[in-house]
Amino acid sequence: METMLRTAGILLIALSVWSCNDNCTETRVRRNMTPVTISLLEVRKDLRTEAPRALEHPGKIYVRDKYLFINEVAEGLHIIDNSDPANPRSVAFVKIPGNGDMAVRGNILYADSYSDLVALDITDPKNPKEVSRVEEVFRSGQFDGGTWNYNPSIRAINAQKVTFVTETIQTNCEDNPTPNWGWGWNSVFAMADASFFRSANTSSAAPTSGGGGGDGQGGSMARFALYDKYLYTVGQNELNLFDVSTPTKPAFFSTVQLGWGIETIFPYKDKLFIGSTTGMHIYDNSNPAKPERLSIFQHGRACDPVVVHDDVAYVTIRTGTFCGGTQNQLDLVDIRDLNRPQLIKSYQMQNPHGLGIDFPTLYLCEGEHGLKVFDAKDPFNVDSHLLSHFQKMDAYDVIPLGKTLMMIGKDGLYQFDASDSKNLRQLSKIPVGSPAI
Amino acid sequence: MLTTTLPTWAQETAFKKHYLNQTEVGIMLGRVKADPYAQQGGSGQEIIQNRTNLTLQMLNGIQYSSRLGVGIITGIDWYNSALINPIGAGLRYDLAGKKTTRLYASADAGYGFTWFHDDAEGYDTKGGLMLNPGLGLRIGKPEGAAFTLAFSYKHQEATVEKPPLWDQSSRTEDRNYNRFLVRLGVAF
Repeated sequence: METMLRTAGILLIALSVWSCNDNCTETRVRRNMTPVTISLLEVRKDLRTEAPRALEHPGKIYVRDKYLFINEVAEGLHIIDNSDPANPRSVAFVKIPGNGDMAVRGNILYADSYSDLVALDITDPKNPKEVSRVEEVFRSGQFDGGTWNYNPSIRAINAQKVTFVTETIQTNCEDNPTPNWGWGWNSVFAMADASFFRSANTSSAAPTSGGGGGDGQGGSMARFALYDKYLYTVGQNELNLFDVSTPTKPAFFSTVQLGWGIETIFPYKDKLFIGSTTGMHIYDNSNPAKPERLSIFQHGRACDPVVVHDDVAYVTIRTGTFCGGTQNQLDLVDIRDLNRPQLIKSYQMQNPHGLGIDFPTLYLCEGEHGLKVFDAKDPFNVDSHLLSHFQKMDAYDVIPLGKTLMMIGKDGLYQFDASDSKNLRQLSKIPVGSPAI
Repeated sequence: MLTTTLPTWAQETAFKKHYLNQTEVGIMLGRVKADPYAQQGGSGQEIIQNRTNLTLQMLNGIQYSSRLGVGIITGIDWYNSALINPIGAGLRYDLAGKKTTRLYASADAGYGFTWFHDDAEGYDTKGGLMLNPGLGLRIGKPEGAAFTLAFSYKHQEATVEKPPLWDQSSRTEDRNYNRFLVRLGVAF
């Protein structure tokens, strides 16, 4: 008995001394930036058409008739023949260094290439040809969180090459759930000061355009939009207008200062809806040469694309890299009085990215949480009308095309048959990594 | 004195399985060592802090033999930034001692859930494995209610998905809580 007690006593002491330390580690994947300098001569020389290749890091999408354009972040464009959405075929890859956005009018495709705006003739989609170029109009931009700046003194681009590194740190097991204010704000201010970033991987293609025949269609994350005889491109701080009355000869027309943090542009009727990190800007575009600000709908700082149908604007707000903010929500905004937009209702979401409206169906990309389809007929009860939720896919942005729906995510491009919005059916997928046929 | 102790001796031969309940409240003591500036790249200087948290646990089961009791444990642990409710299997085994004061060993294992934990926006806390071996003293008549004083070691795992900071694309914390527990309770 005594031995037992003694053993127990020793055990007890051992227990109390033995490593009663909380042990917590945080693993994170961080962007590692390596500065690189690319001369403009190099950028311009490298534009060429190549054989079709696999999607690696898809960015924005853009649709024009039976052709589909998928941006390969900072590298170029995949051209896909989509005459049969169930069986899309890759036609060509156009290498465009520093490309993030595109828009198509007629047979002319406009694309950015770091500081330049390039016009390509895509009459033969297998072999697009450069027809003109507006040189050195964009000052800065961002890909994947890596920024680039135009350096006029040597006529080159100072960019950051992004690689991802995994690192582990020891934590105190209770990292305050106070989000990244200190960091986020500072860094965003720093970037604002340096007049940084334009197209991020946080953005995909361009919206429905009003005027001008033969325009293509992009998603809610677009920074390029065609309207009337102008091509609008939004930068970090400004809206650039290009006169495209002669489509093959785009000409730089003017710049409208917007304030920093601009992310997306969505033309609707004769208005421009511009998503920024601080809110939604509404511009009157009845004189397309001179958009005028009507109002700003402000909210917390976050990333937020916007789409519009009639009197309601749908704005998503999400947290995440470069966006800061602590909310993930969908806001419905009453825009009957454009001078005084008014919140209808906010809905909590998981991590909303791009969105699309084919009234009354609302498509919402939830990032790694997939795609959600809502019936938005009743603006006060959108969340209780979830028609379907596709999980196990990454959803970044959508383009509703009536009968079909196009969706891009980190894992590839999906197409759905949307003729019955209650019952979406996947038609095809071009997965990342494997070459499209 | 005699009248109370004698019948208990007599009962040893005639043991009957019966319901067992042990309800305990206690503290979980631990320490943590970390660089407060690790998030910003590290200052090279670690600081050590104490951690003291409240724990509640209840075991429901049967006294299987005069020495062995088994049951299901449910509990709730208020860690500083996680509220975890472990559920698992528990075992009590008398090692030694007189009938009114006995030393017992306990072994609890299960999974800690975060059903009642409310995450901050952007955070997602998930529980994990829970192991809790220990020793205790049970003071009271075997067939009646007793007080318990238990010392144990608790290992609790948890993971937290966090919103990435500005230059990151993902951020996950793996937590291993290793605590020394002192608990008082009643058993019947």
